[in-house]
Amino acid sequence: MQRLVITGMGAICALGNDAPSVWQAMAEGRSGIAPVSRVDPERVRAAGVVAEVKGFDPGQHFDEAKLSQLDLATQYALVAAKEAIVQSGLSFEGERAARTAVVVGSGAAGEVTRDTQYHRIYADKLPRVHPLGIIRMMMNAPASQISMAHGITGPAFVVASACASSNHAFAQAAMMIRSGLVDAAVVGGTEACLNLGTLLAWEAMRVLAPDTCRPFSKGRRGIVLGEGSAMFVLETLEQAQARGATILAELVGTGMSSDAGDIAAPSELGAAAAIENALRDGNLSPSEVDYVSAHGTGTMANDATETAALHRVFGEHARALAISSTKPMHGHALGASGSLELIAVIGALRHGIVPPTLAYLEPDPACDLDYVPHQARKMPVHAAISNSFAFGGLNAVVALRRMP
Amino acid sequence: MSNVQQETTEIIAKQAKIDIDTIKPESTLKDLGVASLDAIEVIFDIEEHFGINLPNEDTDFDNGTVGQLVEAIERQLAAKKND
Repeated sequence: MQRLVITGMGAICALGNDAPSVWQAMAEGRSGIAPVSRVDPERVRAAGVVAEVKGFDPGQHFDEAKLSQLDLATQYALVAAKEAIVQSGLSFEGERAARTAVVVGSGAAGEVTRDTQYHRIYADKLPRVHPLGIIRMMMNAPASQISMAHGITGPAFVVASACASSNHAFAQAAMMIRSGLVDAAVVGGTEACLNLGTLLAWEAMRVLAPDTCRPFSKGRRGIVLGEGSAMFVLETLEQAQARGATILAELVGTGMSSDAGDIAAPSELGAAAAIENALRDGNLSPSEVDYVSAHGTGTMANDATETAALHRVFGEHARALAISSTKPMHGHALGASGSLELIAVIGALRHGIVPPTLAYLEPDPACDLDYVPHQARKMPVHAAISNSFAFGGLNAVVALRRMP
Repeated sequence: MSNVQQETTEIIAKQAKIDIDTIKPESTLKDLGVASLDAIEVIFDIEEHFGINLPNEDTDFDNGTVGQLVEAIERQLAAKKND
């Protein structure tokens, strides 16, 4: 079976507008969470804090004619994809164009466009919406625009599984490459969900923390929404070596499962099944895993359930794992969260630094493992997994190894 | 029974599809079988009915009782009157 490696990464989120800045913030334990600026704070209750992208000027990346086609989620994906592709050194000439895929995970895409265009109809009572509204809001737009921007003509599509979308995207890309359908994929996730309509929808579910996101901590009160994108170039080890590319990490396995239970409440068994599947697929024994980039949303239910799932899969070794959630830094970027968290995993593997879980107050008996609170930890990381567990009971986990 | 208590109990009974007489001030939503998404819908119905916002602190689905919920609603109604 083909071995798969990552040779490029790009990112934009509340921590910075490129992958090196995002990783540096993670390694330093900085948070991008702040009071909401993009909507009237008077209109939101608990949703007073968010993790917004800052200092992003679309005009620096896109000309005006192109920009009118692009929802914010697609803009983020294009920026991150370009950074990843440039780093990888991959070009899509000749046969390689058709031998490359684009897979983007997104929970909803197009939310900003839907919000602003529907505002015109229902609030402003205007007779028409923007003619490129559909082009902007369609869920496949991020994948389509990446394929167009880089001349990639292989399979391209968007995967939607709420907060697990990015990890499902990695799984799809890995399967396509392993099957021999393509040799490479531009793959990751994107979300731009910090518009009033989406914020109020999350607020109504009563899962937004009023203060900040405190994964695995006693006194945690919920999630803080974030946004952004991270994209990667995934390709066969063979192709990467033939090109002389710099290899960032090896993606060894992916695992997926569905709870087939509650539409919102997480399941220990479902989460554990996805983790086990990823380890098996990656030929990793549980004791080989050093670091877990947790889903760690900061809700009562997720963090206790995820902890129980880790106990179930790792047994005694669970206590030896370094586990952290980077969501108190970049927020919960929904469909993009798995992609942003892969930046943390790759950084941990390459630099031997595990990003911390910020905003931790004190131990919760239901969360009794090592969550690397407050401070990043220097330690060798040979293998790691990244968890994503979505509303709707959809779970996806990726497993990576350090490349020597 | 106050009007607020009566109306709150009716909303819970309707959502939980249970007899209104089984709802006591000391019952928790959990006791009444109103869990997770059902509980969020009950709070939404209450907010819409009374025209108030109930903070998350006042909506402890596991341990909060119907009596405490009624008190929280009355507090919000009083605050609204004073605005």
